[in-house]
Amino acid sequence: MKIIVAIKQVPERDAQVRINAAGKWIEETDLQWAMNESDAYALEEALQLKEKGGGEVVVVSAGPERVGSTIREALAKGADRAIHIDCDDLAQRDALSVARLLAEAIKPESPDLVLTGLQSDDLGYGQTGVILAALLELPHASLLLHVEQTSTGLHVKRELEEGWFQNIELPTPAVLTIQSGGSKLRYATLMGIKRAKTKEVRRVTPAELGVPPSAVVVLDRIAQPQKQKSTQILPGSPKEAAAALVEKLKFEVRVL
Amino acid sequence: MILLSVTLAEPQHFSLWEKLLLAALVIASASLFWRRFGTVLDKILQSKKDADFSLSPLGRRVWDFVWEVICQAKVIRQRPLPGLAHAFVFWGFCAFVLVTLNHFATGFGIGFLNPGGAIGRCYFYLAAAFALACAVGILGLFVRRFFVRPRWLGQKLSYESGFIALLIFVLMVTYLASFSVADKSPAAGALWWIHTLALLIFLPIIPHTKHLHLVLSPATVFLSRGGFSRIPPLAGDEDFGLVTGKDLTRLVSLQAYSCVECGRCTEHCPAANTGKLLNPKEIILGLRNYLNEYGPASDQPLLGKYIAQEAVFQCTSCGACEFQCPVGIEHVPIIVGLRRGAVNTGAWEDDHGGKLFLALERGSNALGMSAAERDKFIQKQELPIFDGTQEYCLWLGCMGGYDPKGREIVADFARVMNYLGTTYGVLRKEKCTGDPVRRLGNDLVFQQLAEANLEALAQNKVKKIVSICPHCVRTIQEDWKEYGTPPEVEHHSEFLARHLSQLPPVQSEEKIVYHDPCYLGRYRNVYEEPRKTVERAGELVEAPRSHERSFCCGAGGGLAFLGEETGERVSHVRAEELAGTGAATVGTACPFCNSMFRDAFSEKGDGAPQLLDIAQLTARSLPPAESGSGG
Repeated sequence: MKIIVAIKQVPERDAQVRINAAGKWIEETDLQWAMNESDAYALEEALQLKEKGGGEVVVVSAGPERVGSTIREALAKGADRAIHIDCDDLAQRDALSVARLLAEAIKPESPDLVLTGLQSDDLGYGQTGVILAALLELPHASLLLHVEQTSTGLHVKRELEEGWFQNIELPTPAVLTIQSGGSKLRYATLMGIKRAKTKEVRRVTPAELGVPPSAVVVLDRIAQPQKQKSTQILPGSPKEAAAALVEKLKFEVRVL
Repeated sequence: MILLSVTLAEPQHFSLWEKLLLAALVIASASLFWRRFGTVLDKILQSKKDADFSLSPLGRRVWDFVWEVICQAKVIRQRPLPGLAHAFVFWGFCAFVLVTLNHFATGFGIGFLNPGGAIGRCYFYLAAAFALACAVGILGLFVRRFFVRPRWLGQKLSYESGFIALLIFVLMVTYLASFSVADKSPAAGALWWIHTLALLIFLPIIPHTKHLHLVLSPATVFLSRGGFSRIPPLAGDEDFGLVTGKDLTRLVSLQAYSCVECGRCTEHCPAANTGKLLNPKEIILGLRNYLNEYGPASDQPLLGKYIAQEAVFQCTSCGACEFQCPVGIEHVPIIVGLRRGAVNTGAWEDDHGGKLFLALERGSNALGMSAAERDKFIQKQELPIFDGTQEYCLWLGCMGGYDPKGREIVADFARVMNYLGTTYGVLRKEKCTGDPVRRLGNDLVFQQLAEANLEALAQNKVKKIVSICPHCVRTIQEDWKEYGTPPEVEHHSEFLARHLSQLPPVQSEEKIVYHDPCYLGRYRNVYEEPRKTVERAGELVEAPRSHERSFCCGAGGGLAFLGEETGERVSHVRAEELAGTGAATVGTACPFCNSMFRDAFSEKGDGAPQLLDIAQLTARSLPPAESGSGG
């Protein structure tokens, strides 16, 4: 199976995010970057499928020069080659525009399967993968924990609310968005990094793909979340306090 | 004067037939020796060259050779009785080199020491004294091996060792007996021939058995890498550690063939003593078996038939094995080398290990917490930020920055520095030094961490680091060297010991047992400084195993992060031993040891001794801190 994995580079989990002067995006200098978490799980699913059934894993990622480190990480973990869509304006593009970039890069590859994380850790639209399926005119399933290749196509496990799961059969080719935590991520190895140096990374520009910078959804303003502390001390004997606590949990917080 | 009239009897005349027979026997014995020894030597020399090997500093090598080989100091010091017995045998052999050469020369009529002459007489008397000591020594070792039978020597009785002991005994007795017979008597001839035969039988046995150490171990001690537990840098793009026979270096192969199977390593190994699969001696013998079967050019994986992956990952890297080894084997670099081979190629699969690697690939600390937690602690504790004007950079480490007990230790150490008026600051951003991934063999993540930290320290112009964690100290000072020049670094025990006189005196009879952390004691040779701080705080009690024989807490080598152990927990065994001293308080100098014992004592409940770091023992006598007096 030829599997394409779309990955995104996002600020590292521990990064201290500051808003830039324009208030439209974050300050990117001095930030540490990492592979989007659910994309890492999508890559893991792809690598496991390849290990079981053979084939090829190609990663595709859009972004500036710095994205190269995340692409190399994917190659080091076992992807066979990569496509780097070289663009500096990712933040100005909406999910549709990014999906168009990805779709144009993916089309000539005519893959059997396209995987991506269910959403990005920075913007969190959760739409790029789904729109990508529409643009490629392929069936899709989202929020997947596990993908298995069958004789007729795919067997996938979706996570629903409240501990429910849905198992579905799907034909290939298809586009799937993967949820974090379905499998165990492999660690990067020195041998992988060394081998990755010799793997092909093809660079394309949005112009070559014929996708002009356009956005239907325009990001107006971003802001740091406001922190609020509203500690209440419940008075009375332990018994009274416990009763009051139950009352609050039931009717104010509504978790009971 | 009767004694001086006694001379060594030598047969005065050998017939041509005797000479021919002697020549034939010597040639046969020597070629049997060489047939095996030559093979061993080939395997060692065909192994990969050690890329980082350098003869300098020669002084250190000569000193090690004189102290450990000639003086037999390590052998005697760590096991006094059998050590002395061994030293007598060794010194006997040294004295016998001339005697033996002369012995054979006599057989061909060209003896160069005259038993009647002054020099010959003196030398033969001297050799006789050594022979007596050697005979007693070998008898003692025989009794130990076959009657005392310490379990370190293995379950199986080694009959070859018994036979060798017999040969050595015969050699000494025939030599001594030659003083009591007349020169031309048939008895002199008989003794001469028995002595000769014993020698010629002994020679080919050497390379076929562990007695190969007679020939190899002096070289092994002289050539050893030095620098305790020093992990060699990887050489080139195709070096991932010890994966197959092709990765075995000459030093590793030499060490594998030098093992004398004495079991000192096993005796002191925390894994072997708590029912784990790992036995350091078997790792070394596994390598030797591998070399015997496949050789150093083989593509066969090293982990498999002779060495189990599971065993390799049970090592706490405490270094007790390496410290004890009398023949210069460096176990820790070998075990870490095997781990590197497994981790750098992705062959090692372990849920906890994988999680740790991912946490350090992506995050900043081994505990997998958000870096913001460290910021909060710094704010809450009002620790000053390092800005280049302060004397010390206080390195928090993962335990000091994220672990609740580790934070208490840092806070108390900061109080002491505040009291002394020492200026210090912490880095805004700090990543794990990479100690656990270094010892687990993940060179990729270790390099990333070392480089990121070195860059941050250089940017902040840090000149001196002080840390509460011996693992951080070791990794910064020694392991980072591969990627740059680390600033000067010291452990807080060293800092505290220097400043004790400036602290208020304490009157206390509290019994405090001090636990030597492996990475402070064996790794850094710091034993007395922490003891001084303990002695200031109360009455120092020594544990049954202390100083360089201290028993590990079980956390090192990345094992603190690898989940449940098989067999008994190392930490519980050590905690039991410390509690058994009856001390009211256990004094520690490493936040990992502290955390391991905290866990072990929590099961003991109220009966458990109090557990305090030396920084806490020091700070508790200080007046309460004024707020905001940091740095």
